[in-house]
Amino acid sequence: MSKKVVGESVPKIDAATKVRGQRKFPQDFNMKGQLYAKVVWSEYPHARVLKIDVSPAEALPGVVAILTSEDVPVNEYGIDIVDQPVLVGEGEKVRWLGDRIAIVIAESERIAQEARQLVRVEYEPLPVVSDPREAMKPDAPLIHEERGDSNILKYIKIRKGDIEKGFAEADVVIESYYLTPHVEHAYMQPEAGVGYIDKEGRVTVIAAAQWSHDDLHQISHMLDLPIDQLREIVPAIGGAFGGREDMYIQHLLALCAYCVRQPVKMVFDREESVMRTGKRHPYYIRYRTGATRDGKLTAVEIELISDAGAYASTSIPVLSNTASFAAGPYVVPNAKVDAYTVYTNNAVAMAMRGFGSTQPAFAYEMQMNKLAEALGVDPVELRMKNLLEDGSIALTGNPMPTGVGIKETLRQSALAAGWKEENGGWIKPDLGPPSAPYRRRGIGVACGYKNVGYSFGFDDKSKVIVELALDESGEIARALVKLGASDQGMGAHTALAQIAAEALGVDYEKVRVALVDTSMVPNAGSCSASRHVYMSGNAVIRACQEVLRKREAALRDEIGEKRVVGEYEYRGRSVRPTTPYDPETGMCDPHISYGYATQIALLEVDVETGETEVLKVWAAQDVGKAINPEMVKGQAGGGVHMGLGYALTEEFIQKEGLVKTRRFSEYHIPTVADMSREFIPLIVEVPDPTGPFGAKGVGEMTTLPTAPAIISAIHDAVGVWIDNLPATAEKVWRAMQGRA
Amino acid sequence: MVTLKMILNGQEVSVDVEPGDLLADVFRDKLGLIGTKISCGEGECGACTVLVDGKAVDSCIYPALKVQGREVITIEGLGQDNRLDAIQQAFVDKTAPQCGYCIPGMVISAKALLDENPHPTRKEIEKRISGNLCRCTGYYQIIEAIELAAERLAGKGGLE
Repeated sequence: MSKKVVGESVPKIDAATKVRGQRKFPQDFNMKGQLYAKVVWSEYPHARVLKIDVSPAEALPGVVAILTSEDVPVNEYGIDIVDQPVLVGEGEKVRWLGDRIAIVIAESERIAQEARQLVRVEYEPLPVVSDPREAMKPDAPLIHEERGDSNILKYIKIRKGDIEKGFAEADVVIESYYLTPHVEHAYMQPEAGVGYIDKEGRVTVIAAAQWSHDDLHQISHMLDLPIDQLREIVPAIGGAFGGREDMYIQHLLALCAYCVRQPVKMVFDREESVMRTGKRHPYYIRYRTGATRDGKLTAVEIELISDAGAYASTSIPVLSNTASFAAGPYVVPNAKVDAYTVYTNNAVAMAMRGFGSTQPAFAYEMQMNKLAEALGVDPVELRMKNLLEDGSIALTGNPMPTGVGIKETLRQSALAAGWKEENGGWIKPDLGPPSAPYRRRGIGVACGYKNVGYSFGFDDKSKVIVELALDESGEIARALVKLGASDQGMGAHTALAQIAAEALGVDYEKVRVALVDTSMVPNAGSCSASRHVYMSGNAVIRACQEVLRKREAALRDEIGEKRVVGEYEYRGRSVRPTTPYDPETGMCDPHISYGYATQIALLEVDVETGETEVLKVWAAQDVGKAINPEMVKGQAGGGVHMGLGYALTEEFIQKEGLVKTRRFSEYHIPTVADMSREFIPLIVEVPDPTGPFGAKGVGEMTTLPTAPAIISAIHDAVGVWIDNLPATAEKVWRAMQGRA
Repeated sequence: MVTLKMILNGQEVSVDVEPGDLLADVFRDKLGLIGTKISCGEGECGACTVLVDGKAVDSCIYPALKVQGREVITIEGLGQDNRLDAIQQAFVDKTAPQCGYCIPGMVISAKALLDENPHPTRKEIEKRISGNLCRCTGYYQIIEAIELAAERLAGKGGLE
């Protein structure tokens, strides 16, 4: 009898090879006879390319080929809308600094580097549109003339109840304007890989990717080749966080291999990774909240404008998510939401941890804390009166499915942080004296929730194959789980191996998960939307049940099978069909499943410098069922890291489409010294009956509450509200001077 | 080309390099030691940390010829055969690696610390890894792993 596996913090499946430095990442691959490629990037955020002269570069000894737009069979791509050129040709426009003019392929990396500087490009600069609010105006210069007469890519509205009546019933109205900035994913492993033609003649790419099967669809379109002549292999990935959901290097490697028929390696340096790839969307959020004197929310009116940057990427689905979460995890009877995403000449904005749920979380939680202050009520108590429960009607008119754990995350984190519950009311703890006379102490609380899996009617499915090797007595010697789910570091493969071990009744050590190779594994959907434990976990359980049935049959028939195979495709709509927005009212049933989180931050602000030191963070996440508790804690720690950077340190600065923060010395992700001195992760398990062992998702929810909790704690400490992230020391200090 | 000789992970190694070559590139491109990672290329992130005469250096900006005749340890020099060393084992036990790209550099920084100071405080640990960036973990489990390694090593009387 095997031991219990689900719920145990077994060692991660890839940890030992990672601590030895043996695990191969894309830049660690080298092939015999490989060439090296470098990109010639756009020098302008908006310009027409007049002339491209590659001859000085071509003349350099060791240069093998220089690819320009004419070398691309179908020179366009895009994950959602096909609006991006692969290479920009003469007469065409560059729309941001990440556009590419050419790819130089040479015998060595140094020659490729030298040659790309010799390619001469003449531009006619065009007016730069760098603020989406300006870009929305009717007379704004158009970024995509071919796509109609407006830069507005998408508009979504939600109309629920009677907004006039809702505000008329309110005793208090809080109105604010919030700005959330671009965020760089800053995964430690820059884009890299090798493109080559494999033995079967397939154009093959080794690279980090979040959805290889979808990459192949895009590459198939670009090269005008059928999918079966393409292949993508994903080795270890050095972080992704949404940033590898779009292609930034995969298609370029494929193009190089296709054109020169030799292995070609390409590695981005950090500047390329920061300046030339996508970011989290900045949002401009106007927010009005109305509530009665006793703390019941009556209405919200919200305008959200997101900066899509130069190309659509996933800006439309991100906006859809944002709108659905705009009111927060609260019951709000009357609501008006107007949401826009707009083309500009800024960095392309794309998926990043939260997929549009992070930005509204900052706004709605700031509103709740401002409301608590205005009403003179404890912020925990105010939330308890309004939080969603099973069956509550959400902003989009749908009843919340069973498993709403938001109250439990708030209750557990508040109690852990020292709150007292008395007669249904909540009393904030005494924070004690600050550590120095020039410091002030404050505490802040925030909640957040987000979907698990794809939404708005998108057919979310994950296909899994489980192969068993049987020993002579018919016992399971080994199990191999095959699915197109890459593990970008969060531990998806470990969690799925645990689920498989439990479902098969074998030891965890007997289960392996195949690396993603599209020629070997089925499409399991993207490694995003916090979805693999839920979606692929459900598929793994059913594939295991199938393979166990086959094993029984094989043993019964005594046909001497040594290897049995089961497969299953799990579809989200089989348990909860989702629906798109009604175009007039916005009513819909948007999401399959949800995860919930609450965080509380205790900190001190130096009143002389405005500097914040975070002392303690309590982070409670409702994951339904923790498949591997230590991995859940790791997700919480990582979520807090990104949230703390969002709140305090990370400032991606663009001026007129040009990037000022190009390196880690200029764009500051938190070091260990910036993190909270103490961290208290709390695992809450309110099961989702449709999840594997009750599990939901965890990856994204853990970053939603951090920034609003920290910014509200700064207010608690020194009395200023910072509505424009990040709250740098200078910004806090200036706000304090303004208040004095 | 110049011949660079060093004691690398306990073995005498000699390799031809150009005067401008950087140490990390020599490991990765000439010696096939891929455990040393390059992430920022400017000495900001510590993914490329190796030990030169016991001191942690950022090999992505360190001229290779500076190690002429010196002792160098990379991540490949830790542990024996198939056995992890105490720091590596503690990282596994504390679920410290997520994507793992920063981890070789973290482990080497931890080794530099524990070789010098077997009983570090939490603050001393934080100080020594403050030059090692990680985007996945929030560092909490990494700190716990280093504390665990120190504890286990103290029980055994030092590093193997």
